Amino acid sequence: MGKTMIQKIIQRASGKEVQVGDRVWCKIDLSTARDFGGPNCVLQFDEVTDKAKVWDPDKIAFTFDLQAPAHAEKVANNQKIIRDFAKRQGISKVFDVNWGIGQHVLLEHGLVKPGDVILGTDSHMNLLGGVGAFATGVGNTDIVASWINGTLWFRVPETMRITTTGSFGKGVCMRDYLTFLVGKLGADGMFFKAVEYYGETIEKSSLADRITLCSMVTEMSGKVGLITPNGEVLDWLVKRAGKEVIERIEAMKADSDAIYSDDLHFDVSKLEPMASCPDAPDNVKTVREVAGTHIDQVHIGSCSNGRFEDIAAAFEVLKDAGFQVSDNVRTIITPTTREVMKQCAEAGFIQKFLEAGVVFTNPTCSLCTAEHYGVLPGGDVGVSTTNRNFIGKVGKGSHTYLVSPMTAMASAVKGVLTDPRDILK
Amino acid sequence: MEQSVLRGKAWVFTDDVDTDLIYHNKYLAETDPKKMAQFSFEYYPGKENFAKEAKPGDFVVAGRNFGAGSSREHAVYCLKELGIPVVLAENFSRIYYRNAINNGYPVLFVAGLSQAIKDGKIKDGDELEVNIGTGEIKDVTNGNAFHGDAVTDLEKDIMASGGLIEYLKATATKK
Repeated sequence: MGKTMIQKIIQRASGKEVQVGDRVWCKIDLSTARDFGGPNCVLQFDEVTDKAKVWDPDKIAFTFDLQAPAHAEKVANNQKIIRDFAKRQGISKVFDVNWGIGQHVLLEHGLVKPGDVILGTDSHMNLLGGVGAFATGVGNTDIVASWINGTLWFRVPETMRITTTGSFGKGVCMRDYLTFLVGKLGADGMFFKAVEYYGETIEKSSLADRITLCSMVTEMSGKVGLITPNGEVLDWLVKRAGKEVIERIEAMKADSDAIYSDDLHFDVSKLEPMASCPDAPDNVKTVREVAGTHIDQVHIGSCSNGRFEDIAAAFEVLKDAGFQVSDNVRTIITPTTREVMKQCAEAGFIQKFLEAGVVFTNPTCSLCTAEHYGVLPGGDVGVSTTNRNFIGKVGKGSHTYLVSPMTAMASAVKGVLTDPRDILK
Repeated sequence: MEQSVLRGKAWVFTDDVDTDLIYHNKYLAETDPKKMAQFSFEYYPGKENFAKEAKPGDFVVAGRNFGAGSSREHAVYCLKELGIPVVLAENFSRIYYRNAINNGYPVLFVAGLSQAIKDGKIKDGDELEVNIGTGEIKDVTNGNAFHGDAVTDLEKDIMASGGLIEYLKATATKK
């Protein structure tokens, strides 16, 4: 019987022929932790192993992104726990507060290859499926277990196949398609499943778009969404991670007779700008339906939509609006990584954003929590390109609309929820 | 596995309860599991006082996809430390499920529970009798009965060891 991509990845990592439902132990290619969850891992590891050596310091990485730089003593101390542990263990892959959001930093550093099994204390690790890696968010106990002997247990999941055709219209992008999918499939629409994305829309999409599409598999309760690198994305990846990428892609291709639990087809040609409305990602409407809604703050960034292409799309909207955001909203842009921030600087974006009244921050997760900067007070309504909008997530009693970078900027310009097609020339 | 019948009060939640509602991101910097209990469900509308009012032995009862969202193990620790002996839900989100198993924290899969909650067949404050070993669940307040399935396969072995680290130590000793 043919195998899907996730089955092939798990077969490589476990050294076993596997079927859906099997529980197997997989060798871990990279086990990471961040400033959140990381200190918990370190303290637990030291306690249960009596400060033993980790299985392989070269296969462990730390990233500082949730609260970078630290805003409170407790957080600063947590970050120090990680730095001290890394030093003691000889772990050199430590990406401190100056680097940006973990998964993206790892990817930019060539530490992610198709077919890799990667762990992290971040439920959106699986956005690395955008380059065909099986990355998954786990708790501290899973990380500690992997640091002890380099393996971890997995259940071999069913695979859903989603084929996408058509080109996006003006003012519409991959984030709108993702929002559409979350609304269509629902909060448990991918329950425990892996997903393979195919079709012309995916094949011609940018790395940033692939990351976006895979970033909210978690919001549909899926395990990982996988895309086979091709074209410019493949070239980019080979440059960073080496030629082994090509062999890996060959090895993990799904068989033509692979079994899929679901086979879905969507065409994006007539798709409109979409919004996840308060207070759940799957409460989806078109932006037209909620246009004019009062808003207090706009945020463009996060692991889902803070890459250069995302910020460039927002820039185009701002340009067509005459480079001025509304005085009635606080507009904040947070690039995903230092590399992205440099790209924005080189393109001349940052100067223009600042002149338009935007707060342009260092690369960090920031507005994904109520415990860094950009927190919303009770009753405020935010518009954001992040990936969760449960009630009070970024401040007790606040509500958030999740939208594309273009819709976010259009809303920042008008001061109310706005369809970007009303601004784009 | 615990065979005795536990008795406690039901705290009833909806479908798709996200980890931010169980244990809010505001308290992620906490590293001591014992201090996590006090923040349980602080951001869940209507259940803000859960941590103060729930008694050890009370049950968390929920619909589908309990524990959606974040990887934070805090969301398991807080309920465990509060003395909630088991979470009863129609099913559990992926990471929450792993985190519970890895800590030897019992969860029961209760078919039809999501609809039963919506239909008011099990309500906040109902007295429940739960046998974690057999999966028998009785709502003493209204007489309704439910059945919960425990985990199977490798997860059952990990649970029997008391958690993932204990399981690894036990299997390493055998070798």
